[in-house]
Amino acid sequence: MSLLAETMQGRIMTASPQMRDLAHRLLAYEASAAKTSDPLESPAHRVYEKLRQNLSTFAGEAAFESLAFRALTQAKSETSALWAVKVAADGSLQGLGEIENQTGMDKARAGEGGIILIARLLGLLRIFLGEALTLNLLSNAWPGEAFDDSNSAHGGKS
Amino acid sequence: MSTQDKVKINKLPTGVPGLDEIVGGGLPEFSFNIIAGAPGSGKTTLAHQFVFANATPERPALYFTVLGESAIKMLRYQQQYTFFDPSMLPGCIRFINLSQVVLEKDLGAVLLEITKEVEKSNPAVVVVDSFRTMVRKPQSDMDLQSFIQRLALFLASWQATTFLIGEYAEDELRDNPIFTVADGLFWLRQTAERNSIVRKLQIIKLRGQDSVPGLHTFRITDAGVQAFSRTFGLTAHKRNPPSDRRLSFGVPELDKMLGGGVREGDSVLVAGSSGTGKSVLATQFIAEGIRQGEPGIVAVFEERPQAYAERATSLGLDLETPQKEGKLEILYLRPLDLSVDETMHSILSAVQNIGAKRLVIDSLAGFEMALSPGFRADFRESLYRMIFALTGIGVTILSTVEVDESFTEFPFSTYSISFLTDDIIRLRYVSIDGQLRKILVVIKMRGGNHAKDIREYEITDKGVVILGKRLTNYQGLISGIPVYSDRPKSPDETSLDTGMEHKT
Repeated sequence: MSLLAETMQGRIMTASPQMRDLAHRLLAYEASAAKTSDPLESPAHRVYEKLRQNLSTFAGEAAFESLAFRALTQAKSETSALWAVKVAADGSLQGLGEIENQTGMDKARAGEGGIILIARLLGLLRIFLGEALTLNLLSNAWPGEAFDDSNSAHGGKS
Repeated sequence: MSTQDKVKINKLPTGVPGLDEIVGGGLPEFSFNIIAGAPGSGKTTLAHQFVFANATPERPALYFTVLGESAIKMLRYQQQYTFFDPSMLPGCIRFINLSQVVLEKDLGAVLLEITKEVEKSNPAVVVVDSFRTMVRKPQSDMDLQSFIQRLALFLASWQATTFLIGEYAEDELRDNPIFTVADGLFWLRQTAERNSIVRKLQIIKLRGQDSVPGLHTFRITDAGVQAFSRTFGLTAHKRNPPSDRRLSFGVPELDKMLGGGVREGDSVLVAGSSGTGKSVLATQFIAEGIRQGEPGIVAVFEERPQAYAERATSLGLDLETPQKEGKLEILYLRPLDLSVDETMHSILSAVQNIGAKRLVIDSLAGFEMALSPGFRADFRESLYRMIFALTGIGVTILSTVEVDESFTEFPFSTYSISFLTDDIIRLRYVSIDGQLRKILVVIKMRGGNHAKDIREYEITDKGVVILGKRLTNYQGLISGIPVYSDRPKSPDETSLDTGMEHKT
């Protein structure tokens, strides 16, 4: 079964390389744009919040909360780093910043959890809305960033 | 006030094929409209088509969703339609969900939220889907009325054309204040008729615009909603004045009986029982038109175009070449849930595509059977509209109809549609000298004189061939069982028979 087919059926065990790549780029963008010194405001958290705000306006809080919950469930099956993370009723994420700042937690592992969560969320959006619409929505949330495939480390469309 | 002083209302394209014609040329700009109907009737799709046809980056569309379907699911399905252009989102078309405000606050807060977004985006189009769910929470009538009035005023002031979508029942029309405030009210209906779904659209009201009244068929395909106007898109066309030009049948003796041929723009009915040669005559009519440089359309319901063309070949008539040259189109219209309006749309498109002057409908019985059961009840009325519209633009129509052969009556049509036709040619079997022979008579010709003769004919490899002699020695021919009569011929009969050979 193809990667796309598995993704479409929600059976894939790991986030797709294309979505991970996209998540990486968003996190990198937010890391370089960050001006806050708030230790809880990790790049992953900022990416998530931007997605939440845009998608809640677009589709409603309840719709976003459902998608986020599903994405988190998928991400938790992939990494134990997200064990304490929760999605609140308004779709906001609780516990991600705390994990990333937790003493004893491997920084790289904690950061990987954020990437997987964002990649899963983007993957769900792509399943429901298609690639073109998903990228358009991201362009709206990150107006300065280009999201065409030529900027992707993985190149072609999945 | 002179015409120049009057305000001009711009008409916006609806984005729905056929609907512009129905609403009188386009939707009035800045109007406040309701799209009402049952679930699944195509309300959202219709609104999307309007939005995609009118939104621009400078004047975007704001699409407010409320408690019903989430935008994610809505767009998942809507993007399957061919009109959906993902590149227009979110730059030209912005989806905003109001569920939280509706759930947690009152109508005042909803109005405030809409106001805020409209002021921010300066939209050309605003859609609220579904408005019904927004006002479903208990509120006093005054609150609701005031909310609707303020919303309508605000959106009109911001020069937005608005659609409120709602699942309303028709008995709500009388009491609901929203219908009073609305400038336009589009009602979509769908009913199950036996095994078919019949969809109809009605413009119940449209201020400042001359919309086409009545119920219009519509269909939802992968291109979205497509409407079929009751006037078949011909309201802009003036009726051609009656023509004196005569069109040949390709059967010289018949042309003579018709006083030189069929008058251009007439509706001709060829009636007869099975095997009497109705289709043969129709084929000769269309082939003769092509020979004279008049493109034609044949709408067949009972056989495939290939079979139709092959049968013509057996009569020495070439229908293959004109099809290749774009002078003839044979339409096979046989889906079982067809409406007359959709059939008409197909025929009209073909007429316009090739500039057809002649149209054959073979046969009316097949046409009726191809319609959804729900449309059969209106068959006569629909046929009237179709014939009136087509003859009005100068197309000459020949329809065939099968009638039951009776030996006590002489019916013209089982459909009682003879009032729709200008000319009627009746074919029938007759028992003479131990043979089942065929006779032909011109029953009626609205535009002039015609022969009163009853003529015998045969179907040969050249088609319908009228035999030379008028049948003068029989009484009661139209009963089918004539009686031989050897009365002396009048001088008129003698001169007519003289010199008449068996020829076409």
